Amino acid sequence: MKTERLIDVLAQGVEATERPRWRVNLAITLLVGLVVGVAAVVIGLGVRPDIDTARMPVMMKVMFSGLAAAVVLPLALRLMKPGRPLGWRVGAVVLFVALCGACVVVALMGEEPGDRLAMWMGNGVLWCVVLIPVLAAPTAALLVWLMRAFAPTRLTLAGAAIGALSGGVGAMAYAMYCPVDSAAFVMTWYVLGIALSAAIGSLVGAKFLRW
Amino acid sequence: MADEAHLRASLLRGLAGDEAAHRGFLTDAAGLLRSYFRNRLRGQAEDAEDLVQETLVALHTRRHTYDPNYPLTAWMYAIARYRFIDFLRRSKHRAHASLDGVDVGDVDPQFDASDAKRDVAVLLDKLPEKQKTAIRLVKLEDRSIREAAAATGLSESDIKISIHRGLKTLMRLMGQEQVT
Repeated sequence: MKTERLIDVLAQGVEATERPRWRVNLAITLLVGLVVGVAAVVIGLGVRPDIDTARMPVMMKVMFSGLAAAVVLPLALRLMKPGRPLGWRVGAVVLFVALCGACVVVALMGEEPGDRLAMWMGNGVLWCVVLIPVLAAPTAALLVWLMRAFAPTRLTLAGAAIGALSGGVGAMAYAMYCPVDSAAFVMTWYVLGIALSAAIGSLVGAKFLRW
Repeated sequence: MADEAHLRASLLRGLAGDEAAHRGFLTDAAGLLRSYFRNRLRGQAEDAEDLVQETLVALHTRRHTYDPNYPLTAWMYAIARYRFIDFLRRSKHRAHASLDGVDVGDVDPQFDASDAKRDVAVLLDKLPEKQKTAIRLVKLEDRSIREAAAATGLSESDIKISIHRGLKTLMRLMGQEQVT
């Protein structure tokens, strides 16, 4: 078929397009992902037994994870549509990670030298880093599905952004289970868990986001 | 040659449902895309034309992703560049090719549309029955949505959805084809 003919075919009978309601869809996607993640924690891992007395620290961890997701959100939105400059949005993520690093150092400095390692490592480092990406998976799958309806053109970056965003959501769910409450622990290992989600996302992004 | 303002105006009118404007946009875009791909695939005019067609379908089916607050050409060339990288991946083509920037070089008036290597008509034939019928009636035989609905017994929105899905499927088929 000649290109001219193809153009005729495409243009023939074209109608006004509706503006996609992506804000609503995105909000629903993130909410559903979070609910599935929390359900996985409740069913699979079990909410931490001392949840009644530990409301405050759990709340703090959920808010920290939510903040991490919120920092990545503008970047993810930019990568959803073609030809949008990223601008400060990458810087925001870098700044957030740097601030977390600084907070970790300050928090550890305030401890007795002998306690620092224990404060930092908690006793569930490995689980934390591994379980956050696992709990992020439902959100990530939904986000991929949502984003493909748009037209991401930088798939590796978009994959990383989806990974980090869903990592933040996964960490919110994980906070219900995680028994360690020290700020240095959370800011190090939660961020690393989210970073691992982002790394996985960047590796598989091109495969799943292709359109 | 079409400039940013003109292209943008045509696309926006097309988005509002103006068929002639949308055709104009696609025609102008095809010219620019042809230069873009020919400058990157020297001596592969047919591959370049395949990419022009592929990108036109992509621009058409994803036209709702254009945000009027941003430059149209940035949007268009981001999609073109994406299709080009996808093409390189498919063809495992490792020759030197400039991937950055959206500089299309000079538009050579001698760049006429050459024949594409693949035939879109053949691909259209591979679509699921419902999508194929909807596209044939409305797009190829110029019937209205209402007539097509009456002829097939489907609802009008069913016809519209089938066309939309069919074009998306078409784009996917274009991307799956093995480049020789």
